[in-house]
Amino acid sequence: MNKISDVKITDMKERYKSGVLKYKQMGYWEPDYEPKPTDILAVFRITPQDGVDPEEAAAAVAGESSTATWTVVWTDRLTDSEYYRAKAYRVDPVPGTPGQFFAFIAYDLDLFEEGSIANLTASIIGNVFGFKPLKALRLEDMRIPPHYLKTFQGPATGIVAERERMNVYGRPLLGATMKPKLGLSGRNYGRVVYEALKGGLDFTKDDENINSQPFMHWRDRFLYCMEGVNKAMAETGEVKGTYLNVTAGTMEDMYERAEFARDLGSVIIMIDLVIGYTAIQSMAKWARRNDMILHLHRAGHSTYTRQKNHGVSFRVIAKWMRMAGVDHIHAGTVVGKLEGDPNVIRGIYDTCRENYTPQNLQHGLFFDQDWASLKKMMPVASGGIHAGQMHQLLTYLNDDVVLQFGGGTIGHPQGIQAGAIANRVALECMVKARNEGRDIWNEGPQVLSEAARWCTPLRAALDTWKDVTFDYASTDSVDYVPTPTAS
Amino acid sequence: MKVTQGQFSFLPDLTDADIAKQVEYALEKGWAVAVEYTTDPHPRNTYWTMWGNPMFDLKDPAGVMMEITACRREHGGKYIRVLAFDSKKGWESIRMNFMINRPEYEPGFELVRAEGPGRTVRYTLRSHSTAAYPAAS
Amino acid sequence: MNGAVESIDLAALYQSSNIHATMHALDSDLVGLTPVKTRIREISALLLVESARRQLGLQAEPPSLHMCFTGNPGTGKTTVAGRIAEILHQLGYIRRNHVVAVTRDDLVGQYIGHTAPKTKEVLKKAMGGVLFIDEAYYLYRPENERDYGQEAIEIMLQVMEDRRDDLVVVLAGYKDRMDTFFKSNPGMASRIAHHIDFPDYAPDELVQIATLMVEKMNYRFSDSGQEAMRDYIIRRMQQPRFSNARSIRNALDRARLRQANRLFAGRDVPVSRADLQTIDGADIRASRVFTQ
Repeated sequence: MNKISDVKITDMKERYKSGVLKYKQMGYWEPDYEPKPTDILAVFRITPQDGVDPEEAAAAVAGESSTATWTVVWTDRLTDSEYYRAKAYRVDPVPGTPGQFFAFIAYDLDLFEEGSIANLTASIIGNVFGFKPLKALRLEDMRIPPHYLKTFQGPATGIVAERERMNVYGRPLLGATMKPKLGLSGRNYGRVVYEALKGGLDFTKDDENINSQPFMHWRDRFLYCMEGVNKAMAETGEVKGTYLNVTAGTMEDMYERAEFARDLGSVIIMIDLVIGYTAIQSMAKWARRNDMILHLHRAGHSTYTRQKNHGVSFRVIAKWMRMAGVDHIHAGTVVGKLEGDPNVIRGIYDTCRENYTPQNLQHGLFFDQDWASLKKMMPVASGGIHAGQMHQLLTYLNDDVVLQFGGGTIGHPQGIQAGAIANRVALECMVKARNEGRDIWNEGPQVLSEAARWCTPLRAALDTWKDVTFDYASTDSVDYVPTPTAS
Repeated sequence: MKVTQGQFSFLPDLTDADIAKQVEYALEKGWAVAVEYTTDPHPRNTYWTMWGNPMFDLKDPAGVMMEITACRREHGGKYIRVLAFDSKKGWESIRMNFMINRPEYEPGFELVRAEGPGRTVRYTLRSHSTAAYPAAS
Repeated sequence: MNGAVESIDLAALYQSSNIHATMHALDSDLVGLTPVKTRIREISALLLVESARRQLGLQAEPPSLHMCFTGNPGTGKTTVAGRIAEILHQLGYIRRNHVVAVTRDDLVGQYIGHTAPKTKEVLKKAMGGVLFIDEAYYLYRPENERDYGQEAIEIMLQVMEDRRDDLVVVLAGYKDRMDTFFKSNPGMASRIAHHIDFPDYAPDELVQIATLMVEKMNYRFSDSGQEAMRDYIIRRMQQPRFSNARSIRNALDRARLRQANRLFAGRDVPVSRADLQTIDGADIRASRVFTQ
């Protein structure tokens, strides 16, 4: 490292001499900066290359995610550059992890276009993630001020209106993803939809990679699915829905599919995260215009959310998606087959469902976040869950969630309807017991076996899956653990 | 058929003691509790007839149970449900909904299919009960 | 309970119910009212023994607990209703420790069809606890044969009978008027199990009440103040519309006003903590009671 001082240079002649300066010298490190209420704040986990000072690394992240480039440019002086510069204002070592630091950076509101996730992310996670002086970089959390939030539509429908439309209150909603994911013809596929809904689920769901393949084109799927939905409604008197996946190669195709779903009377459509932020925002606006619930499958997210040292935390993705305007988002199960530490999941669920989330380091929430009455997003718990875990699911995830039992419905030994019945009975008896004041965390298995005495499908489900657990350590966990205090 | 709307339609019929416990749960949350009835349980029939206004400021489920008894006495052959309303900001909606009464015979619905071009079908659900109670639908 | 159990430790039951604390508070917090306290103790004993009997499987109709409190205004009827609710709650005869206090206007409507929902709403709010109806005789107005009060009475009777486990009704008012009310409403009379008469307070008791009240407000009487209060009480009792403790409360409110004006008038001199707390003879003797 060269020995030149690394404090911010205030002499303008020195500052704008041609050549290379440290980011700290350029002014991207401002330890005294007090974030304004209108600032967008971000906290990154940085792993500097050996020998790189963490403050300089933080300043570099601030620089590269806002105005800086690798060398001094005189054109900065045509701007109020002091104002546009992002400011790294704090660096904390990550507890228990040498070599990693949390860097806090403040961005002025004027750096971003209103109502555009694409613009926000082009800055915050644009070039900076490939920046050489860092071994790894992860965006852990963001504070979006109400001033910026209010430029976004937010969820097209929201939890309250979704419940009013579905006429389902006071319990989680139940869903199932159609299996096998690929290969069923339209007619066979609709059969599974019908059986599951008739049995007692509220929703069925296309999988993320069901679009319009040779074995089943999208129109065919939509028509057979809606036959199944309407027939199940007539036979149960309940509102039912199936998430018709409108993901396609172009926006034009997606709009065409969405419009067809609407014309057939579907209450819900679905898109995949891989369609991109702008496409998601477009579909959210379409969904608001057409009174449609918009389900988002988070296909692809684990490529950048799972590893703790590099990428983007899923709670940030959840924040962006609430701003972008989806109604449903897959957000983890804690107990199922996919990644999910209970504390991390809690932070994500709060991000989806609360109007105000206070800072809670143990849940991975670094900032107080006021959601400024943006509607609430319904989290979806999906992946390797079954009826025998109902007490755990209800305790961890509470009422406002869609519990999706794909294999846990379709794989039932007595058939799909029986699978759906088992799930619905397990859910209803658990909600009833909880409301009655029973300690379901401990008495849950007993509550289930009491119901299994009169409900054969539930008994079969409990027998089939009684030993299934996915007890692996999570790779994405929180760094702050509660310290016992002397009382 | 059995109309399975509400939180507990897949369980054995709730006893009065069961209902009182659920009402107590609602009252402890500060929710107002209402009783409504209908002859037409069409899934899109949002507005059932109110058996009086929602009951605010109750401390004990006995008051609700009194109305349930009275409603059942008068409308025993109909669908009756209990709702809980939450007035808290961000909700301001229904938080509980469970059926506590249903007719002995549930006539169900007819699914009417109107076929259009390109294999499209427009679906209409018709309640069979509206024929029996033409004025009440 | 196991049928083999043949004895019950009443003392232990008394301890575990916590009512000894409530009974003690009743004695220490409320001045006078000896006959009332005696009746409450009797009722508590009845209920305690009833619980013991239940534990041994000796079934009987649950005792009727609807009550009537008679007495002049300001004799502590509302206060005692609150204590009764506490005791009944501790003994498990009501589920909630709460009292809903109403008068005729809360129960009776202005036009046809108005009264039933009003009365029912009050009853539903009171359910699980105690419904206290002050000046209950106003519910019955024989001079107007279309009076809706009768409708309210009938609805209440129904609930008092059908939902005995859910509600305890306490009627309250002047003794003579309650007697007339019961004569014309035998249905109501037959459902009231306990009649408790609240005597007027003796002058000494009222002085004691006044002293307690000023203490609660963080004041105290000077010697001359104490003496003036006693004189005031004796004179006030002879005058019309005397209403026991309530009249004392009103007199004290006016005395505070005069004390404040006296201190303000002498504002050239700094006031001490003691000055701010003291009610003097003059603050009371300026009352019209002494000039009439």
